Amino acid sequence: MNNPESRLSEYIDELNAEQEPEKHRGAADTPELEKLLTTVRAVRSLREPELPDPGYPQRLAKAAAQSLHQPAAPKPGFGSRVYEMVAGRFRRRWVLPPVAALVAGLLLFAVLTSWNGLFNRDVVYAMEKAVSKLSNYHGVLEMRSKNAAGEEWLIRRVELWSDGEKYAVRQDDGTLTVNNGERKWQVRAQSKEVALLPLAPDPARNGFDLRDEAKLANQYPHTVVGPDIIAGRETLKLEISPPGGLAYYLWVDTETNLPIQLQTAMQNSLQTTYTFVNFAPNTLIDPIIFTYQTPEGYKVVEKDPGQLVATVEEAAAISGLTPLLPKEAPARIFAFKDRIVFDYGDATIVEAAARGPFNPAPNAALGTAAGGPLEVWWERLRWRQEGLEIQAEGARRAELARQIAADFALPDSGKKLVKAQVQVPVDMEIAGANQQQVDRGSSPWHLDPLQVALTFVNLKVSPEGIVGEPKIPMSYYKLAANNGAEAVVEVSGGPVKKVYLQRLVRQDETGIWSVVGYDQ
Amino acid sequence: MVLVIGVVDLRKAREGDLRVIEQICLATWEPLYRFIYFKVQNREEAEDITQETYVKVLAYLHEHKASGENLPGFMKTVALNVLRDRWRQKKRRGIAVNIEEINPEEASGMDHQKAVTQRLQIENAMAKLNREQRDIIELRICKGHSVAETAEIVGKTQAAVRTAQYRALQALANILDGDD
Repeated sequence: MNNPESRLSEYIDELNAEQEPEKHRGAADTPELEKLLTTVRAVRSLREPELPDPGYPQRLAKAAAQSLHQPAAPKPGFGSRVYEMVAGRFRRRWVLPPVAALVAGLLLFAVLTSWNGLFNRDVVYAMEKAVSKLSNYHGVLEMRSKNAAGEEWLIRRVELWSDGEKYAVRQDDGTLTVNNGERKWQVRAQSKEVALLPLAPDPARNGFDLRDEAKLANQYPHTVVGPDIIAGRETLKLEISPPGGLAYYLWVDTETNLPIQLQTAMQNSLQTTYTFVNFAPNTLIDPIIFTYQTPEGYKVVEKDPGQLVATVEEAAAISGLTPLLPKEAPARIFAFKDRIVFDYGDATIVEAAARGPFNPAPNAALGTAAGGPLEVWWERLRWRQEGLEIQAEGARRAELARQIAADFALPDSGKKLVKAQVQVPVDMEIAGANQQQVDRGSSPWHLDPLQVALTFVNLKVSPEGIVGEPKIPMSYYKLAANNGAEAVVEVSGGPVKKVYLQRLVRQDETGIWSVVGYDQ
Repeated sequence: MVLVIGVVDLRKAREGDLRVIEQICLATWEPLYRFIYFKVQNREEAEDITQETYVKVLAYLHEHKASGENLPGFMKTVALNVLRDRWRQKKRRGIAVNIEEINPEEASGMDHQKAVTQRLQIENAMAKLNREQRDIIELRICKGHSVAETAEIVGKTQAAVRTAQYRALQALANILDGDD
């Protein structure tokens, strides 16, 4: 691993581990590489410094005081620290907690007030950190809509409790949905019933997920608009601009660094604002809210909520399936009549019997797994193996999928698929307008490479326009490759043999496809 | 903020009074540490250099019966000298480093201004990269993800991420150099 690419990567790894790269791995041996290392340090200066462990100033004081008491001792040289002998061996001396210096605070304040726009990354970085440290919260979330005429109305108001993986949501009508990690249920006040719901997998809880918003804010370009007061709290308003889409706004509480309001772009003359009108992060939540109980006079409704089982064998007996288990043992196994769910905390594997043909979502990227196609759709992987349809979701989905399918390979979006004989020029203004149209919910066919290819080919055959059934029907088109950024569609009839497409505006599942070339 | 140290306290600090030295450290360590971290971008080295700076500053005050006037500025100058010494030693060991980047004569206030300007330049340069290059640099350097994590997020192989990050940094370095 001595090539410059690996050495540069190792250097970044060392800095990310907060270690001195030159001490542990040696450093640049060419001016070119040193220039890149300098660039790495420069880019890294955009993030907040990693502060020492508690007690660092006290350690400094001891080290400095000791040096004065030992005048004859050699001055500390390169890379030296002050060590002491403990139990016959040397160790670094570390004690007591840190105190933030006023100087730093004043400097930061001065910089923030005069250079506000430069610190977007800090606001978003602080938000991402605060969200990652959020252990629980209780709040009231309001969803309001506004039309183009400026009329605003309340859609709904929900009360939320979240504690790690546990959560509870109370709707306006009194319906309470709770997931306490062991079971999930819904208390329906109006019909006086308690419905037991499948525990896993569990889709999103509401329209304003703090973790998702922090992640998106970080992914997309963003700027600080300025300070604002929301629900009586001081906030910073951020403008988030998804590539090719309309900007939306996020308000971040300056005290907690957590997002407390989200306002969507005006889509189809409608704009929605999600606001935490009450929000208490890292608070005390009464455990009774997550305790399952049937209120008096309520009946229990059950529709295969699944059951927690101890072994794979039990799960196999209940579901009638022969599951494929990753090497790593799951934290919990849920068995249903027709499927098995392996829960890893940060990922879920669902296995069910494969039925009918395997049809990946049209705008999903395609990799390979178990010798067949692997659907990569948002944060979900899906493939077929040994008569099972397997779905992996969550942060470690790829790692676990690889443990099931040895030949598992994600699509390589860096790979060039477009090798067209005939280039097709694309008007980016039209592509941008099409993307915004799709963002508003119109013309979703732009998201499907097969549909885009079909339209393109049939317009070649009938330049005057497609009337009635297309001359080269959909059954002639086959998605040969899709790496998320580029796609190739093979056509088994007509004048065009292959259509090459690219996501030119946005390279994710919301990005439209444009034809950039074809083979005759 | 100007750190005010009384004559008696300074005398005690010079004599190695742990309580007074601790007070000075508590009031001054963080800006100095941040200043050094900005240069070296890792905690291990920043802690070492901060410690070495305090040892040198107190030894200097002790030996020269110095007044302690503008202590934070003086400490930054000492820190820059320590940094320069260390980088010279690295150079002697065959490691190419850009010594010109470290200039002990620059005033602390100017250095802060320079940091803000540098930030602006880097953000502007990053904005000129294509989306894939920017994503890779942000994931690997700004957010600190591993190659494996980055590969999973961007849907590439680890080797492709290493290659892409190398090219992205080359492009960024050229933009910062004004080549592009």
